[in-house]
Amino acid sequence: MSAILIVEDENHLADGLRFNLEAEGYDVEAVGDGETALSLLRENPKRFDAMVLDVMLPGRNGFEVASELRSSGHFVPILMLTARGQSHDVLRGFESGADDYLPKPFELSVLIARIKGLLRRREWFDRETHAEPATAAKELTAPGTEPFVFAGKTIDFGRLELHAKGQVVRLTLMEAQLLQYLIHHEGEIVSRKAMLEDVWGLREDTDTRAIDNFVVRLRKYFETEPAKPEHLLTVRGVGYRFVAKK
Amino acid sequence: MRVRGRRRKSVAFFIVSGACLVALAVALNVGWILLNWREVALLVLGIIFFCVIITGVVLNTIFLIREIRRNEQHDAFINAVTHELKTPITSIRLYLETLKARPVEEKQRAEFYDVMLADTDRLLNTVEQVLRAGRAAAQRRQPVTTSMVDISELVRECLDLTRVRYKLDDDAIQYADSLNGQRAAVLGDADEIRAAITNLLDNAVKYSDKRVKVSVAVAAPDKNIVVRIMDEGIGIPAGQLKRIFHRFHRAPGRVMARVKGTGLGLFIVRSIVRKHGGRVFAESEGVGRGSTFTILLPRAS
Repeated sequence: MSAILIVEDENHLADGLRFNLEAEGYDVEAVGDGETALSLLRENPKRFDAMVLDVMLPGRNGFEVASELRSSGHFVPILMLTARGQSHDVLRGFESGADDYLPKPFELSVLIARIKGLLRRREWFDRETHAEPATAAKELTAPGTEPFVFAGKTIDFGRLELHAKGQVVRLTLMEAQLLQYLIHHEGEIVSRKAMLEDVWGLREDTDTRAIDNFVVRLRKYFETEPAKPEHLLTVRGVGYRFVAKK
Repeated sequence: MRVRGRRRKSVAFFIVSGACLVALAVALNVGWILLNWREVALLVLGIIFFCVIITGVVLNTIFLIREIRRNEQHDAFINAVTHELKTPITSIRLYLETLKARPVEEKQRAEFYDVMLADTDRLLNTVEQVLRAGRAAAQRRQPVTTSMVDISELVRECLDLTRVRYKLDDDAIQYADSLNGQRAAVLGDADEIRAAITNLLDNAVKYSDKRVKVSVAVAAPDKNIVVRIMDEGIGIPAGQLKRIFHRFHRAPGRVMARVKGTGLGLFIVRSIVRKHGGRVFAESEGVGRGSTFTILLPRAS
């Protein structure tokens, strides 16, 4: 049975969510502020399989809680809930480390479907990790959940890990999805808009500059000199291009 | 907050540039005095001009900063209202969908109905506050409907409402009056005065940290009727006692931020009380030491 942590300070919403998730057969715990949620997750990092996080919380807000979790190496899937549904709020949520984002008021069935989606992905990754370790150093394997090796660097999509510059970086789901997409279109020019739409399903008037922040972060992870990228190249005025070989 | 951070930077920029301009004008003024020491007419004229420039720059900077602050508060207000409107709607919708999609036991079903009712009340309350604030800002003249309003009766009615709304024990809010059975009436709009007193009671309950302990006193010592609402809540910093009555203003601080609000309540209280020819003020011994709100209304003979 999957366990879900609800962080919501509005009692009515927390109770309603709990009732529904319990009816779906999940083990549910609800807390009213970010601080309590953080200490619960720190105490027992493996206890919850997913987290529903409200943004407007007393004390520390949801954005702060998510980035605090991610920077301390905690990768529980987060579904962010908020009354603020404008595109810059959505992007801020993703940047702070959320895996999914749902503006209030939401449809119950959509909420449950999204939670199921998060849990399913986590399950797939877990199965991948527990399966026999993939044979290392395959040259340019096709991207999937198989590790991808290029120019002495390895991206393990199963474990969301990137081995480069003698270090291991934990990737967020969004970073991994973006990398996977770029690798899949290796050598091609990919527009910012295409990245937003195809990778994260964001549409309409979304600010495409958010992509740039992700690219800057990814370059820091694996480029020898992030200011002079050799793999993740900028195509001025269009978007980006991924090149595996130097 | 990224947006707030950017704002603060822009405020800092205007303060610095204002200070630089003032310093420059002062320096020029001193230079002028030194250069024109012998020419009295030029000296005086120059000093006057420079003083005008300096005052202008200082005033300009102050107004600019005030405007930025007001904008900031307006943003915070929009955010708060969005939250206050969307949260109950989300909740009602969630419960309706639940009732529609799942088998729910009879007892649970009754609970859900209560929750939804409470949410519609909350929604209605927010809408009413916003409308009232809009009216208060638009018309500052005499109340439209006037009648004799018995204040002690009205206050007790408000107390009962608050007790029910927050499910409080009877002794959480104490009432005392020193009217000795005399009638204390005000000529005015009963609905408005009720809204003002309810707003103050709401605040007293909302800003009580854990245990709610509020005492309300009504007195008529002279030509005024005095309604005093005392709580043992989180208190108000001395610098905020006047500002909290401004529209959209919410006192800053971690403890205050735990309570949600639109920043309209006290503004509404003040405009209603003023419209009735009275005044309202706040007292507090500081953060964590409770606060007292006093309304003075002219007594009708």
